[in-house]
Amino acid sequence: MTDLKVCLAQDGPIPLAADFTCRRGELLALVGPSGSGKTTLLRSIAGLYQPAEGHIVCGETSWFDGKSKYSLSPQKRRVGIVFQDYALFPHLTALENIALPLRHLPKPTQRDRAEQWLSSVRLEGLGQRYPHALSGGQRQRVALARALAREPEVLLLDEPFSAVDQVTRRRLQRELALLRQQIAIPIVLVTHDLDEATALADQICVLHGGESLQQDTPDRLFRQPATPAVARLLDRHNLFNANVVTVDGQRYLQWGRFSLEVTEGLARFAVGEAVTWYLPPSDIVLHRRDRPSRGERENPIPAMVSEVVALGGITLVTLRVAHGDMLRFDIATHAARRNHLAPGAMVNVSLLAAGIHIMPGTHDLARSD
Amino acid sequence: MAGAMDWAALSVSLRLAALTCLILLPLGIWLGRALAYARFRGKGLCGALVALPLVLPPTVLGFYLLLSFSRDAPIGAFWSELTGSGLNFTFSGILLASLIANIPFAVQPIQRAFESVPRNLREAAWCSGLGPWQTLWRIELPLVWPGVLSAFALTFAHTLGEFGVILMVGGSIDGETRTLAIAIYDRMQAFDEQGAALMSAVLLAVSFITLGIVYGLAGRRRWVSD
Amino acid sequence: MGALRWIAAFAFSVMFTATASAKPPVVAAASDLQFALSEAADAFTQQTGEQVRLNFGSSGNFRRQIAQGAPFELYLSADEDYVFALNEEGYTRDEGVLYAVGRLVWLQPKGAGTLPRQEAPLAAVEAAIAAQASGERQRIALANPEHAPYGVAAQQTLEHAGLWHATTPLQVLGENVSQAAQFALSNDTRGGLVAYSLALAPALAEKSDYVLIPESWHAPLNQRMVLTQNAGETATAFYHWLQSEKGRAILQDYGFSVPGFSVPE
Repeated sequence: MTDLKVCLAQDGPIPLAADFTCRRGELLALVGPSGSGKTTLLRSIAGLYQPAEGHIVCGETSWFDGKSKYSLSPQKRRVGIVFQDYALFPHLTALENIALPLRHLPKPTQRDRAEQWLSSVRLEGLGQRYPHALSGGQRQRVALARALAREPEVLLLDEPFSAVDQVTRRRLQRELALLRQQIAIPIVLVTHDLDEATALADQICVLHGGESLQQDTPDRLFRQPATPAVARLLDRHNLFNANVVTVDGQRYLQWGRFSLEVTEGLARFAVGEAVTWYLPPSDIVLHRRDRPSRGERENPIPAMVSEVVALGGITLVTLRVAHGDMLRFDIATHAARRNHLAPGAMVNVSLLAAGIHIMPGTHDLARSD
Repeated sequence: MAGAMDWAALSVSLRLAALTCLILLPLGIWLGRALAYARFRGKGLCGALVALPLVLPPTVLGFYLLLSFSRDAPIGAFWSELTGSGLNFTFSGILLASLIANIPFAVQPIQRAFESVPRNLREAAWCSGLGPWQTLWRIELPLVWPGVLSAFALTFAHTLGEFGVILMVGGSIDGETRTLAIAIYDRMQAFDEQGAALMSAVLLAVSFITLGIVYGLAGRRRWVSD
Repeated sequence: MGALRWIAAFAFSVMFTATASAKPPVVAAASDLQFALSEAADAFTQQTGEQVRLNFGSSGNFRRQIAQGAPFELYLSADEDYVFALNEEGYTRDEGVLYAVGRLVWLQPKGAGTLPRQEAPLAAVEAAIAAQASGERQRIALANPEHAPYGVAAQQTLEHAGLWHATTPLQVLGENVSQAAQFALSNDTRGGLVAYSLALAPALAEKSDYVLIPESWHAPLNQRMVLTQNAGETATAFYHWLQSEKGRAILQDYGFSVPGFSVPE
């Protein structure tokens, strides 16, 4: 089992406090806003940057150890890397680019192997082209083939889809997903695109200011962010402050004038403690006018429609509850029409008890957006 | 003598230009690369020193060189110790002067070329398993090749045309320090306009052919950098 | 990298041609000897089979270069003081010998205005000064008095005639007397004060006119030659040959008064 374990720290010039693991065959996405140290961490794994402290271990081999000042050179790390701008060698053809990491092999083998990689990224017949004569998507594939030709122990992808148009991006993402099934090595993807991370990654590690805040599967991460900060970085809404209370020996979450039932998590907090809670938009259920909905009896809340924005088949709805907090969720546009959702209308929603996720501490609710 | 070509002077000029290029280009590659990549204190100062011969009048350069080449000065004394002859008024002396006067012409185009090679190309080479020397040879040099050619052209042509410094340090000695440019001046002094005209034409042709070959080579790339 | 290989091959082939043969001695000579000494050297070579390399320039420059270690073996100065100075500093074998006394002439392009008469050789200079009043600038060429003996003599001549300051804005200074002669014959000057020996050279004679300046108007142009400390056999032979009957005859042909060695000065 070849795992990649990364644990790095330094105070400056680029602050780092990151700790994450990527298993063999797994794709780990490092996400975070620009300046969060994603690329620096990737470069550290490749040996192109040496942080002050920490260690990087690939399988049984130590690649970097801050304590003993040991750092394996990039040449010896067997890392395949796809740079953001691909960094193809402009004076070499596509085939020569791919053959460069194969120089340890005999010449004829080099050529055969390079041709194989070229066809595995579906660029047969374009081997004699120079990079300037290739499209953005073709360049990205050459870069990927060059990284894989190295027969790497770790594959690193630095925003590999950011320089191509959306149609090409979709296609390349699909190809990457297919390719993953054939290579059983840790893959680390740096991206600022949450949708891309969700679609491609097995694990996501959220970074901020060089610090790794949480690593988890996309699903768990989006439903149960560890801290309000993580929720913010993941672009989550529906974050609120509340207090833990007891009524007849049963614990509730006191939110404004509502006492909310919570399936799990309240026991960890003391009575009277101020906490932050989060609800995924999918766990807000609109009470329909014509017929009862699932879970209508759970935490029913009256609210006023504040904003209705239709984006194609999906309508984004913002509700205002009595004490001023805003609930956001989306429903199918036809459902929004049928229920006559319009600003000013009063509606009832249920907040599903199983979806309520409680985090320690309060946070400033004033959002910059 | 009058109206004739001074072959010895042409030979001195070509030898001087060729040796200057041969010695200065590897130095230019090393120094230009260091100035392009390295981050160190005093880098600006280093760049200014490299560019200095560009702005100094040849007489200033000649003055200091004459002083430091004299056998009483450390450089001249050291050379004298080493070879048994002085530096002033010798071929070695004008070669050294030409090396110093041409530093900016050899270093600057190469430095610019290295600066225009993206950092991640080198990194991509390292991550492809290429060592520093292989990276230099297979990736960096092919990419900076136009800069090297341009440095060669400038250095070669500038050495052929160098006059003031060579005259001051070399003193126009037939077959040793009298370059074609100086021979033309001497011919003019001797009222031999025919000879001066002939030699000027030769110098013009040699310079033009050299530059033509170099720019022809530089334009022969099959790829386009972007 | 094919180009690199070609360049290297070219460089090496050029490097090792025309080196390493025993070189004839280098003679540093005042530029008023430009033609006289070239002819003398040819005659010397014909007679002895030995060759010398001639370097012409201003005497003052050569005096400095010899002190800086220039590999000249024989130095023919247009000003004997330079020779004495070098001797005192120990760069020469001895005080050398007086080989010629030079003369100054007014030289002007053929057919460019009237040639001054013998009695008033500076008439053209005076005319040039007068022409300034009408806004016309006729230049006067002379060698740089800072380091060229003929320049010093020209300055003394103009001072003698009381014209030095008036000519200052008109002067164009040659680096040596040969260049001054060149300037004098260009269409942009009225003429110049240069060496008689140059005026007599065939290359100049056909395109110029001259008039002699009286010897008493400037300090004598005593020209002295000397062997330096690195002088070898050939240079020594040439030194003696120049003092021979044949050598003196050539110098005389170029207008130098040559001291007879039997005749005391």
